[in-house]
Amino acid sequence: MNRVTHFLPFIFFIFFIIALFSFLDKDEDQLRSVLLDKNFPDFSLPKLESQEIVTGQDLSELPSLLNVWATWCIACRVEHPFLMRLKEESTVKIYGLNYKDQREKALKLLDQIGNPYEFSIFDQKGKLALDLGVYGAPETFLIDEKGVIRVRHVGVLTEDVWEKKFKVILDE
Amino acid sequence: MIAEIGHLLLIGALVISFFVGFSPLCRFITKDNFFYRVTGPLNILVLFLVLFSFISLIYSFLNDDFSLAYVANNSNTLLPVYYKLAATWGAHEGSLLLWIFCLCLWATSYLFFNRKKDEEFVALTLAVLNQIICAFIAFTLFTSNPFERLLPIMPIQGSDLNPLLQDFAFTIHPPLLYLGYSGLAVPFALSIAALISRNIDSVWARDTRPWSLLSSGFLTLGIAVGSWWAYYELGWGGWWFWDPVENAAFVPWLISIAMFHSLIVTERRGLYKNWSILLTILAFAASILGTFLVRSGVLTSVHVFALDPERGVFILVIFSYFILGSLIIYSLMNNKLPGRSTYSLISREFGFLLNNLLLVILAISIMFGTLFPLIYEAIYDGKQISVGPPYYQVLILPFAIGLSFLQGIGLYLGWNSTKEFSFLKRIAIESFSLFLLICLFVFLVFGKFSWGSVLAIAMFCWIVSGNFIELIYNSSHLRDLKAVLFKRLALISAHLGMAFLVLGVGMVTTFSLEREVVLSEGEGYQLGDVTFTFKGIEEYKDLNYYVDSARIEIKRNDTVNEVRAEKRIYLSTNQTMTEAAIKPTLLQDYYVTLGDHLGDKTWSFKLQIKPFIRWIWFGAILIAFGTFVSSFNILKKSHE
Repeated sequence: MNRVTHFLPFIFFIFFIIALFSFLDKDEDQLRSVLLDKNFPDFSLPKLESQEIVTGQDLSELPSLLNVWATWCIACRVEHPFLMRLKEESTVKIYGLNYKDQREKALKLLDQIGNPYEFSIFDQKGKLALDLGVYGAPETFLIDEKGVIRVRHVGVLTEDVWEKKFKVILDE
Repeated sequence: MIAEIGHLLLIGALVISFFVGFSPLCRFITKDNFFYRVTGPLNILVLFLVLFSFISLIYSFLNDDFSLAYVANNSNTLLPVYYKLAATWGAHEGSLLLWIFCLCLWATSYLFFNRKKDEEFVALTLAVLNQIICAFIAFTLFTSNPFERLLPIMPIQGSDLNPLLQDFAFTIHPPLLYLGYSGLAVPFALSIAALISRNIDSVWARDTRPWSLLSSGFLTLGIAVGSWWAYYELGWGGWWFWDPVENAAFVPWLISIAMFHSLIVTERRGLYKNWSILLTILAFAASILGTFLVRSGVLTSVHVFALDPERGVFILVIFSYFILGSLIIYSLMNNKLPGRSTYSLISREFGFLLNNLLLVILAISIMFGTLFPLIYEAIYDGKQISVGPPYYQVLILPFAIGLSFLQGIGLYLGWNSTKEFSFLKRIAIESFSLFLLICLFVFLVFGKFSWGSVLAIAMFCWIVSGNFIELIYNSSHLRDLKAVLFKRLALISAHLGMAFLVLGVGMVTTFSLEREVVLSEGEGYQLGDVTFTFKGIEEYKDLNYYVDSARIEIKRNDTVNEVRAEKRIYLSTNQTMTEAAIKPTLLQDYYVTLGDHLGDKTWSFKLQIKPFIRWIWFGAILIAFGTFVSSFNILKKSHE
């Protein structure tokens, strides 16, 4: 009996390490494949700026970016200046998906640091985010002119990522 | 050229540490004691090789050698010299080298304090440490080599060190944290050596404790500096985010605290031997796991590091080798450990056991929260969620209460069983009177109450009574008191530090004020007990950034202070950074962040008042001080 208990930590860690290895397999291709080249999912949610309900049709100016953000997301602040730059240079329209957030706080923040979005979808329960398979904020999707998701990027959108992942598709 | 030398030195260190790592095995085969004798000198050689390799990297930074990819990515000619130095460990590759250097320092200082001890045991310990050094050097050389050249096309100018990291706190944060992380390897190595040589006794526990205390102290400082940095540099007044990277440091910290408490019992009573050994392994596992989580990219986080799945595999292989290897040794060797004795439920032994259980369960729950998004995703086939601060805030509260309660009474529980309970009544009375006093004071200052703050004050008073007031009460003479205070300096300082930390966290969580306002020049805004007035703004260019610098006057009663809130645009990356204006006082911080320019002489601002926030870091410093004093005392004693 005693012998067996001494092996318990070892056995536990074997499982633990197998689990960690399996997490590593989840590479980006898999992340993307769930939605990649599929139509943007249907939704009907209020705007952040008003109570008005928006649907897929309201994402009218395609191609465009959909950026998942929230006030509690620190990394979103890091990419914010870059989004502002995209807006100023009017490279592409950006729609926001305000994810699991409070309306008041979100509006205040945009007031304070600037609003790079055409408008933001207010997804308090994370419904649309769930359909999109959002992993966390920030996340950025590229929707082409046919309304098909072409790129998904998890994490901070930087100059580098933009050049390598997004610009290539946009230029096509 | 210099970089090539550094590269070669590192390869040399790889070979030699490999040899040291397996020299006990050679001794086992050849029976030649030569293999024990060489471990010490060779270990010092490894230290110097790594040191000079590190220096050559620093040299490349100071001389703007942009033919090195690592230098080109993290430094440029405009960067002030001081930050060029700090840029050496500003990103993944260099920080790994620093990690290895810290580990070599630990191994060598272990050798220094134990050079006259049993040759076999010291050689075994050094061997384990050198295996770890060797594994991490291999990791550096094969997956993240800082000496890689960008030839033949080399950039004339480098990009920049992330502006967030161009800051004093950030230059000392990584070294402190890495000293803490890598220090956990020493108790681990001592455990393996003890398991193999089969002498786990109170001498072993005493020899192990200072190392676990030291790494715990460095972790405390590292985490505190990191939190301080986040507080004033990120510009929005947060000081802890439950970010995966923070959790990766917090978990080993909790386990290291459990570890040195458990080692006390092993030393004094010969109990909990298995548990102590397991904790040393667990602490080291948590330390490597932290590195894995941060560097492999399985979790996204604020801390933007270079991510690479290949690195993840490598770290995981290292992790498996050391942790599974040590657990196999544990399972095979230790079941003959004697040391079972009985003690009553109300005894110091049991108190320590509870303390350990609380700390370890908390650590595991935090680790679980950090990994939960990954687990959830694996089970629900790609559906993903994130675990936020609310989970941790709810989680940590009962543990904080339990640990504070134990801290208050722990000193007065007797070994084996507690005969006398009069202390309970006294501590209750002492802490209750202190509690009333502080509540009154807080009410006078802030004019309000909340459950959170009352709870925090209660925990504070309970710990202070048990670890300070009751000690004074118990000593009949002044001379007596001095002796007690001096003898217990480490314990008092660390436990009071914990009390201040709890109080600070409770108050800042419940009493913080914040407002976002738009102010024109000359306009003021009243928040809490002060008036913030926007006095004017200047624009100028500093060495490597443009800056908008707003002057804000903070007026409280009759005292007037002027502070500057800045917004900087860094030239080489075009990144914008806010530098918050902070006016610290003993009880609260006044915190101003500059927002956007909204037209002629009108800007938006975020005004915040953060009560007791300094007490969090003050508490952390006391804790670290306590661990250092304690380890110093033990090292001195065992060296005599």
